[in-house]
Amino acid sequence: MRDIIRLGLILLLITAVAAAVLAWTNDVTMEPIADQVLQANITARQSVLSDASEFEEMSTDTFAGYANVLEVYKGLKDGQVVGYTIKTNPSGYAGPIEVMIGISVDGVIQGVSVGNHSETPGLGAKASDDQFKNQYNDKKAEGQIDVIKAGTPKDNEIISISGATITSRAVTAGVNAAIQLYNEALK
Amino acid sequence: MKIGNTFLRGILYDNPIFIQLLGMCPTLAVTTSAVNGVGMGLATTAVLLGSNVVIAMIKKFIPAKIRIPAYVVVIATFVTVIGLLMKAFVPALDKALGLFIPLIVVNCIILARAEAFASKNSVLLSAVDGIGMGLGFTISLTILGSVREILGAGSIFGKAIFGASYQPALIMILPPGAFLALGCLLALYNWTVSKKANQF
Repeated sequence: MRDIIRLGLILLLITAVAAAVLAWTNDVTMEPIADQVLQANITARQSVLSDASEFEEMSTDTFAGYANVLEVYKGLKDGQVVGYTIKTNPSGYAGPIEVMIGISVDGVIQGVSVGNHSETPGLGAKASDDQFKNQYNDKKAEGQIDVIKAGTPKDNEIISISGATITSRAVTAGVNAAIQLYNEALK
Repeated sequence: MKIGNTFLRGILYDNPIFIQLLGMCPTLAVTTSAVNGVGMGLATTAVLLGSNVVIAMIKKFIPAKIRIPAYVVVIATFVTVIGLLMKAFVPALDKALGLFIPLIVVNCIILARAEAFASKNSVLLSAVDGIGMGLGFTISLTILGSVREILGAGSIFGKAIFGASYQPALIMILPPGAFLALGCLLALYNWTVSKKANQF
């Protein structure tokens, strides 16, 4: 009995030290990590809507009721609205995928960026490669984009990543949600 | 002499993957490309070195009966701290290796080295063992990742090597390919190295 109490206390001591170390690390890293996330978001907005020089967050009322849409920014240049960036989080193969879409005011997709995700390395993770996501560039933001597995894609089609159809469809679902929002609420 | 031996054991004669068959979960899961192999290996090496040193330092204070929970706490703390620090201060590295960090907690190679080596040896030897085992793990994962990437995607470290007409055997980068490649490499490795290892 005494032995159990002694062992328990030693284990308590070890876990208490571990907890203190973790608490301290968390405290030190919390702010830099929040900064990194913010910075990554700014870079992503810039990359999908390169025409704009500054961005202004739009109120959540704009996209109330749209599933998967996280945030919408208005892209401005010299005070004029040049487009919108829409961040969505469609469900992929292994969890939500962060997809940011930039649409210009004349209804053309300017760029797509794939942020945090937990897709399979080597397969679904290829969604963030240029080869896949550049397929969306210059497509017209009307109707829906379809995913095909092989062949020559038509104007409203993209070719899926081989071995990762679910991921390809998920990213496309994010893009389609953005197109729908653009047509119904932003245009 | 002992230091050299300990180091070589990790890389060659006690290679964590090809001889000890440790850490099979990340081995099979992340080796879809050579780059992933290098990333997972290096991240594991860092944690292995850290946990081996800490455990060698505190081994006298830990009663034998509760050593396993104590090691697990040390390892999990280490992994979390490294993960958070990387995220906060070296985001570029985090982008490349961040995916693998949480996987290391469940990697039994860390616990195995803590139990089999660090709890019985000096801090210096434990550090050498951590580096040796870590490098052995890295090299094996890179070889496995390269084989799978060459066959399954027709490229190495992301560079295409066969030209556009090459039809990659997609199965090699899917889960079954991990078992196929690992099995063949295991046979090859043991066929070539086992004779020497027995003499050693």
